[in-house]
Amino acid sequence: MKASWVLLQNGNATGNATNATAGGVARPPSAPLADSIAGMLGLDGAVAGPWAKRKITAAFTDRIAVNRVGPFGLLIIVADAVRLLSKELIVPDGVDRPAWDIAPIVIPFSALLGFAVIPFGSGLQLADPETGLVFAFAAASIASLGVVMAGYASNNKYSLLGGLRAIASNIAYEIPLIVTAASVVIFAGTLQMSEIVAVQQQTLIEIGGVAIPQWFAFVNPFAFALFILANLAEIGRNPFDIPEAPTEIVAGFQTEYSSVYFVLLYLGEFIHIFLGGALAAALFLGGPSGPVLPGFVWFYIKMWAFFLFTQWARSAVPRLRVDQFLDAGWKGMLVLSFANLVLTAILVGVIV
Amino acid sequence: MSLEEPDPTDAVPAATSADAMEALVSEHVLSRDDHLNAPGYVVRPDAVQDTLSTLRTEAGLDHLSCVTAQEYEDRYESIYHLKSYDDPTHEASVVVPTPKDDPRSQTAEPVFRTADWHEREAYDLVGIEYEDHPDPRRILLPETWQGHPLSLNYDQERPQIVPLSEHANPLQDDQRGDEGETMFLNIGPHHPATHGVLHLKTTLDGEQVVDVDPDIGYLHRCEEQICQNGTYRYQIMPYPDRWDYISAGLLNEWAYARAIEDMAEIEVPEYAQVIRTLGAELCRIAAHMLAIGTFALDVYGDFTAIFMYAVRDREKVQNILEDLTGQRLMFNYFRLGGVVWDLPEPREDFFETIRDFLDDLPQALEEYHDLISQNEILQVRTVDTGVLPPEVAKSYGATGPVARGSGIDYDLRRDDPYGYYDELDWDVVTDDGCDNYSRLFVRLRELEESAKIIEQCVDLLEDWPEDNRTIQSNVPRTIRPEDDAEIYRAVEGAKGELGIYLRSDGTEKPARFKIRSPCFSNLQTLPEMSNGEYIPDLVASLGSLDIVLGEVDR
Repeated sequence: MKASWVLLQNGNATGNATNATAGGVARPPSAPLADSIAGMLGLDGAVAGPWAKRKITAAFTDRIAVNRVGPFGLLIIVADAVRLLSKELIVPDGVDRPAWDIAPIVIPFSALLGFAVIPFGSGLQLADPETGLVFAFAAASIASLGVVMAGYASNNKYSLLGGLRAIASNIAYEIPLIVTAASVVIFAGTLQMSEIVAVQQQTLIEIGGVAIPQWFAFVNPFAFALFILANLAEIGRNPFDIPEAPTEIVAGFQTEYSSVYFVLLYLGEFIHIFLGGALAAALFLGGPSGPVLPGFVWFYIKMWAFFLFTQWARSAVPRLRVDQFLDAGWKGMLVLSFANLVLTAILVGVIV
Repeated sequence: MSLEEPDPTDAVPAATSADAMEALVSEHVLSRDDHLNAPGYVVRPDAVQDTLSTLRTEAGLDHLSCVTAQEYEDRYESIYHLKSYDDPTHEASVVVPTPKDDPRSQTAEPVFRTADWHEREAYDLVGIEYEDHPDPRRILLPETWQGHPLSLNYDQERPQIVPLSEHANPLQDDQRGDEGETMFLNIGPHHPATHGVLHLKTTLDGEQVVDVDPDIGYLHRCEEQICQNGTYRYQIMPYPDRWDYISAGLLNEWAYARAIEDMAEIEVPEYAQVIRTLGAELCRIAAHMLAIGTFALDVYGDFTAIFMYAVRDREKVQNILEDLTGQRLMFNYFRLGGVVWDLPEPREDFFETIRDFLDDLPQALEEYHDLISQNEILQVRTVDTGVLPPEVAKSYGATGPVARGSGIDYDLRRDDPYGYYDELDWDVVTDDGCDNYSRLFVRLRELEESAKIIEQCVDLLEDWPEDNRTIQSNVPRTIRPEDDAEIYRAVEGAKGELGIYLRSDGTEKPARFKIRSPCFSNLQTLPEMSNGEYIPDLVASLGSLDIVLGEVDR
């Protein structure tokens, strides 16, 4: 994980450079901050993967799940980490070596990179470049590259099918996702994450003395729903877990990975879910804002709420077939997202 | 019995009596070899197709239920057990003897597609060759197997070690053709969606299935041979539990019980029939629950709530069955002439448990319908995929929920009544959709019908006079049916028509014990349903067939 941390700091540095040229207030680059954010996310992934996911799925399916090691079974995280890391790393015959080894690093790293511009609140934000939102999406999209590398390099037909599915479906959800986010940008008038969050603090309407803030989820619930849907596809969860699709193509692109590489892929997936949640929180749910509790805590609550939502979908929603998913992406989400963008542009143009 | 009267327009063609049928095919019939269940016509090996197609079109015998092959001291014999889908009691057997030195017989595959696999099995286990068979390979045993295990001169001591060069190497090098855009993919024998050790040799064009060739036999345990080595009275009954082991044990036991009871003319007391009916329907519910749950796994992904809900409800049935039989899976509860013991004491508690389960079932079913059949994504996934038209289904000998999901109104419980079914009020569920959704929906609806039957059985048992509770009739310690009696009898198992062919040789053990497995015939339809569709649909179709490899491979 060393490499990703270094790159995170690089991201930090570029961010500050952009800020400096724009004349914004540059926060001094801080290695401990980068470390702590990366560490926090690693912890999130660790808690979510071996413990929270099991507990949540168990709650949906009337089971108890882990409860033997430690309070609430929490120490299973340690036990699982030891178990997974001590397993043999099986390298199948004929894998395309550099690509096969790099893919499990690319996937979690791309998600971590995206977090560089996320405003956690309480002053926790690594970098705040003017192009923050674009950077987050660009970084998150690198994961697709990792998936394709894993699928193609594994020398396994199921992996190949998974990789091909990932490529085929990529544009079908990526464009609607970004175009929907662009409608928020039109409202906010900026790509800078801190600004987007700040705009949402204004009051939308006051009901009985309670000020409802101008969260974009309230301003444009339709865009919010569309964004969450496309986000589910981006992170590859039901009903869109097409590239993995257990019971169809075994485990898709990750079929041949074991031990540490498997942990990295797994971690990457969970950090991706949290990145999806963080983007949804920052763009539509007012970022860290909320009553009483500190902003940082609110942001975390929103991120985890999204995680809960993905696990809910996983327990209850059937998977679409790959061609149906492409249909839904191209003919449904894409059209709706552009309609939303144009309408937003007209409305903003008329009002402002 | 269902209150629906059979539709008069479905009436079978006129030639239903044994002699009328014989007249139809008189030019081919050499002699008569009647079985206890049906007239048997002995025909020459080169007249198989003519005879079968005449009987099919003129006598309405459109269901090739089973093909039994066996070896006598002086000849080989293939028996085609024919039935009518409209009236399964309208039966006939076509017996095709072939000489010892040249056991070759015409294939029936052009007339009935289902003969394909059945004849492969006959070749594999007994050694009869079928001329013009489209795919004359072994089916259950490995291709390199030496000899035919059910033939009389088979040497069991003979080593089966075959040089490596004669094996097809499963790890062949990549084979890339210059042209052609297809990819070969092994689905199974270890794959999350094959429901056991099934191997599908799949050819793909992109994600679409061009061809799929099921490779079975991984779970072949010589069940027929085991039964041929057991005595009718005691030693066979434990084995049926191991065919369809998805809690359908009592249904399987009934198949054997029915065949031998008819053959040896054993009466079953009415009280025992009610208990059998009760137990069998509980088994059906348990089996269907698992079918629905695993189908959800196949379509939803492996973290679905539905599977756990289905298993939870199945667990309740298992507890009831455990109370009744003392076992959770390998029940061994039926005996010839009845059941092994009476209902558990205190009876009131037992009835109470069943009633509680039945009371909760409608709510549970509503939940399943909410989660599964009403779910729009599931409908998008399953409606009009894996289509199996009724004519194709009949040609493949499909039965059970697979046939009923293709609109074929065929249920042995009503059409060829046994047990206590004809005294009860229930309906046969059919659906005309012919697709994956229909098969799922039929199973969900059948749960309701089974619940109806159970409720009526409980009512009957509660009021049953205490001095008339005979659980077993008086059956001799040793059963020796008369020499060379033959019978084919079937019951409605969880997966379809589960039939047993028995031939006696005057001893206390059967000379031939043939199992007609519904899954075996149903699985044969998979290529018809899946060719041209996507991999996810192939997986869904396989799930909707609800096969149990223990029963396919026996």
